[in-house]
Amino acid sequence: MDEVGEARSDDFEREEAEAEAELLRDRFRLSAISIAEAEAKKNNLEISPPVMACISDLAFKYTEQLAKDLELFAQHAGRKSVNVEDVILASHRNEHLAASLRSFCHELKGKEPQSDRKRKKASKKDDKSKSEVLHIS
Amino acid sequence: MENAKTFDPDLIHAIFKLVWSRRAQERARNESADHTENEVEIGSSRKNRPTAANSNALKLSCELLRMFITEAVQRATSISEAEGVDKIEATHLERILPQLLLDF
Repeated sequence: MDEVGEARSDDFEREEAEAEAELLRDRFRLSAISIAEAEAKKNNLEISPPVMACISDLAFKYTEQLAKDLELFAQHAGRKSVNVEDVILASHRNEHLAASLRSFCHELKGKEPQSDRKRKKASKKDDKSKSEVLHIS
Repeated sequence: MENAKTFDPDLIHAIFKLVWSRRAQERARNESADHTENEVEIGSSRKNRPTAANSNALKLSCELLRMFITEAVQRATSISEAEGVDKIEATHLERILPQLLLDF
């Protein structure tokens, strides 16, 4: 009896985890699509639906791969948490990409000299007021 | 204005955590297969704790992913403009895809 119950709750948990993963993927795709649409609009272009689906799917797969890479890089450095250097290392194949990420990273560091605890709560505000804060630093 | 749209760092964090916890579970399963069944508790020991990420790293990851998408669109745009079409079609994406994937 107990074993059956356990197996069921296991199944249930797995289903729940899968549903959550699916939800995350859909949320990711929606943001990816809105980014792509905004980018195409700048050039007054449309993006056909299959291209849109393809781009958002690619970006999601890239995210998963990025997560694996970042974990491996952090482990290789003997750390348990991923930091900005790992992300820059992940982009090492393209010098321009790495350079622009590095400058983005400097911007991030320049605008938040406060404590780590404050940083997380303020992150959403920071995004919105990015341009204003930039001039100060 | 240019950077108006990007990913939510919390969303990216959730996806990263999902991937990391999956891998931590896999590792734990492999370990318990190697040893005996005495290490059943997954992720409870310090050794098997899933990876974490700091907030700047997450924002930088969001930027990297945003650039991936904007690059894809911009490169496809240049192809469709060269063809004189005002819609990005699958063939345009196919043309730019190999180099895009090599660059990221």
